[in-house]
Amino acid sequence: MLLRRLSLYLVTAWVAITVNFLLPRMMPGNPVQQLIGKLTGQVTVQQVRAIELAFGIGLHQNLWDQYIGYWHQLLVGNLGVSITLSTPVSSVLQSAVPWTIGLIGVSTILSFLVGTVTGTLLGWFRGSRLDSLIPVATFFQAVPYFFLGTVVLLVFGSNLHWFPVLGAYSQSVTPGWHWDFVFSLVRYGELPVITIVLSSVAGWMLGMRNMMITMIAEDFVLMAVAKGLPRRKVIMHAARNAVLPSVANLSLAIGLVVSGALLVELVFNYPGVGDLLLQAVLNEDYPLIQGIFLVITMTVLAANLLADVFYFVLDPRTRTEAAV
Amino acid sequence: MSERPTTSEATTLEDDTVLAIEDFCVDYGWGDAAVRAVNHVNLSVRRSRVLGVAGESGSGKSTLVYAATRLLRPPGVISGGHVSLTFDDPTSSDAKRRTVDLLAATPSELRAIRWSQVSIVLQSALNALNPVLRIGHEFDEVLSTHRPGMKKAQRRERAAELLSLVGLNADRLARFPHELSGGQRQRVMIALALALDPQLVIMDEPTTALDVVTQREIVNELAQLRARFGFSMIFITHDLSLLVELADDIAVMYAGNVVEWAPANDLYGAPRHPYTLGLLNSSPPLSGERRELVGIAGSPPDLSQPIAGCSFHDRCPFAFEKCSSQAPELRVLDDSGRKVACWLHDSPADVPVALRRRPRDATRVGAQTPSNAEGVV
Amino acid sequence: MSAVRVPRSPKVLIGAGLVAFFAVLTVVGPWLAPDNPNATNFTANLRPSSSHWLGTTALGQDIWSQLLVGARATMIVAIVAGVVATLLSMIIGVAAGYLGGKPDEGLSLLSNVFLAIPGLPLLIVIDSYLPAGGRSNSFVIGLIISLTGWAWGARVLRAQTMSLRNRDFVEAARIVGESRLRIMMFEIAPNLLPVLASSLLFTVLYSIGAYVTLAYVGLTSTAVWNWGTMLYWAQANNAPLANQWWWFVPPGVCIALIGTGLALMNFGIDEFINPRLRSAGLSGRIRRTSGLPRRPRLGFTPVARTATPRATWEAGSR
Ligand SMILES: Nc1ncnc2c1ncn2[C@@H]1O[C@H](COP(=O)(O)OP(=O)(O)OP(=O)(O)O)[C@@H](O)[C@H]1O
Ligand SMILES: [Mg+2]
Repeated sequence: MLLRRLSLYLVTAWVAITVNFLLPRMMPGNPVQQLIGKLTGQVTVQQVRAIELAFGIGLHQNLWDQYIGYWHQLLVGNLGVSITLSTPVSSVLQSAVPWTIGLIGVSTILSFLVGTVTGTLLGWFRGSRLDSLIPVATFFQAVPYFFLGTVVLLVFGSNLHWFPVLGAYSQSVTPGWHWDFVFSLVRYGELPVITIVLSSVAGWMLGMRNMMITMIAEDFVLMAVAKGLPRRKVIMHAARNAVLPSVANLSLAIGLVVSGALLVELVFNYPGVGDLLLQAVLNEDYPLIQGIFLVITMTVLAANLLADVFYFVLDPRTRTEAAV
Repeated sequence: MSERPTTSEATTLEDDTVLAIEDFCVDYGWGDAAVRAVNHVNLSVRRSRVLGVAGESGSGKSTLVYAATRLLRPPGVISGGHVSLTFDDPTSSDAKRRTVDLLAATPSELRAIRWSQVSIVLQSALNALNPVLRIGHEFDEVLSTHRPGMKKAQRRERAAELLSLVGLNADRLARFPHELSGGQRQRVMIALALALDPQLVIMDEPTTALDVVTQREIVNELAQLRARFGFSMIFITHDLSLLVELADDIAVMYAGNVVEWAPANDLYGAPRHPYTLGLLNSSPPLSGERRELVGIAGSPPDLSQPIAGCSFHDRCPFAFEKCSSQAPELRVLDDSGRKVACWLHDSPADVPVALRRRPRDATRVGAQTPSNAEGVV
Repeated sequence: MSAVRVPRSPKVLIGAGLVAFFAVLTVVGPWLAPDNPNATNFTANLRPSSSHWLGTTALGQDIWSQLLVGARATMIVAIVAGVVATLLSMIIGVAAGYLGGKPDEGLSLLSNVFLAIPGLPLLIVIDSYLPAGGRSNSFVIGLIISLTGWAWGARVLRAQTMSLRNRDFVEAARIVGESRLRIMMFEIAPNLLPVLASSLLFTVLYSIGAYVTLAYVGLTSTAVWNWGTMLYWAQANNAPLANQWWWFVPPGVCIALIGTGLALMNFGIDEFINPRLRSAGLSGRIRRTSGLPRRPRLGFTPVARTATPRATWEAGSR
């Protein structure tokens, strides 16, 4: 099973790369001239070269050779040169990607945990007052991430000053592995993480609730009661099985969370990929846009694989299938 | 004897009765939508004895035992009666017997009794075992919950010992349920049910999902285990011939009512209720002569509609006017203590020949001797 | 299955009410708008008042009018994207589920690939290459959004189709010799209605989010008023920092409300598809008269002595 998933991700990666290669070459008109026209003021030779490379113009090669060349460049880690920053895309990304991975990783794990635990309780204590959480969570799920971020930033950051905002750490500490910095990192991360968790928790919560309700109707849960186990253990019996579909969906949800989280970064001025992507889009910095897209896709695929491994560990039935 | 204990008899009978079900009613749904699935049932399970419960699908056998142990799921509601469990109190030093009213028990009281005094085995062991937990975990959990003093190694040892009782190797403890065959799973469930030396083990069609050979093996094993450990048992099945081998008494249920109660051999050799006769005719004989199998014509009544008279009257070959207007009650038939709910026996002269056979003598060994300590089979 | 009886819980009713409200707004919104949303002839940065219910923007435009006019573009894109994506997912899902074998493998791979690629970044990339004319066209944007939003539904529909494939009525149609296309369209598809409806609700929800996000990032034409462009302009003029809540809060709340409405409606469909989810609670009256607990508790069957004791079973045994 794991092998199947791995090959799926490889195919997906190939599709993403190929789309990335083809899109600029399918653009009508002469984008180079347009772009150069937009870059008012002095256009360096480097910039023109970067644009030409990105669009595959002026290479005097057929599409196939260009494609091969494109792969070559990718494999050596060359993602082209940013038009506006005039630096290699890969080095731009290197400084931004860890922030994004950290923020989204922490938020996703937290959201999954919080949602799963509350969903478990909602499913078990169905019909209790806890049920009023459902419409509330549904509402937060429907609010666009960036809007929630803006409101949260405004209310708790700018007005109430409960949380520090803008950026990933206080300007007064020097980055490094010491307590002040880590503390500052956590403090600055709180609001963005809360925003992402609030927006994404409802999915986990409702999915888990529905699965719990389905599980409670299973015989083995009744048997857990018949065995005289304390309620906590009975709930665990049901939850241990109910969580499996959630974990199976984890890999699919990561893509959605990433999409939303990129915008949260934007709102909070977090130095991750989101901010970079917006800048790139506004400046029509195509090599950068493409680089970001590729890196995001690859990261998401890697996260998917991780989630699949997790599922593999949790469900013994998949393991035997693979063994047999 | 499931004679209703009168006050004077109570003390003597209490020593004998493990589970007493009196005037027990169970509904599905409430208010106007309620459907009576168990209707004024009286039964008792005696110490170290096996009560067999037989009846067609939908006759309320499972409902009866789940409700009696308070395990019945919604929309099931217990709408009347009493259920009490008598057991040797493990907490008192002089091993006094204690009686608990199961219908009045608090959740924590029930939890303490469950599995340590009453355990249950379901029809499908695949669904009864948690699919993501190892077999060993199930044993460990039960033992650590009810025997907090036991150490991990002791628990493991006990689990291995229990598995060997049902003929399984201890290496199965590391397996997951889906890695075992149906028969193995059911054996695991039986071993698990015996883990805490309960007073009463309830088996709800434990062998129905298995092939005939495995079914036979497991029933034999059960008989041996019971003889060895002396627990009481309720064994539910729709296969009467299986029950005759295992049960001391048999109750036959139809549409939520117990229509006949008798010692196993009496019932098997000499049924007194037309429905019992029909059931016997539709199940393969225990041994010897081949017999033509005939099903019972018609199908069980729709419980959501009120039934006038005897619930079996429209399928009964011997029905007469009274049957469709008045419901018969379960009454003692003769001095052997057997009971039947049928109007036919009001006038002994008119009882059809098929329902007045004399009980043949024991078709099996040991089952009817009062003490079951000696070997069976 | 024939009598479609959608559960009438308060959740579903509120959801349907919200959705209906915004559906009406889509149609009549632009006519109700008191002013031209582009007109800049008012005083800038007005607070809400009786003449400008939601105040004015930094450019002196009437926000209330923008909100009303913007409803239409937002909803049209969402509906176009939702319908197209649902159709796509139905075609691909049903075909994969019914045909099985090689076609299934190919189609499943396709939908899995689309599921694995993060949607918004892909949208942004595609959109950033669009010429300006495409960006201002609601239908083009809707189509592109549907391209990134169909895969989830296809997956669900495929699973559902596979469970229907061997049912008696499908088998019967096969034996009669109906063509595969006919079977898929007339035997299987009608039975997928609840799942399709749920999938439609979710794709519309997703599309609103995606469209608004694109607009907010500045990737749709700023000349087309929708709730996302309103947020874009509010952000561009630092309305949040200036505490001009009347500018950026209303569009956000509208998006959240329509989204909540869609999600609440989906609860009804969920309960329809999975009967176990239907409420098992008791109505107050029955509970009071019977003495049953409100919430049934697993393993503690309630006792309510409502049965009339049998007369001949003499009293006094207890
Ligand atoms: N959840 C429920 N709601 C309403 N009626 C039910 C419910 N569960 C069972 N019943 C009804 O109660 C009656 C008794 O069911 P029960 O499961 O006790 O039968 P059974 O004798 O155990 O049958 P089987 O041999 O098939 O296990 C049946 O007529 C059934 O239709
Ligand atoms: Mg049953």
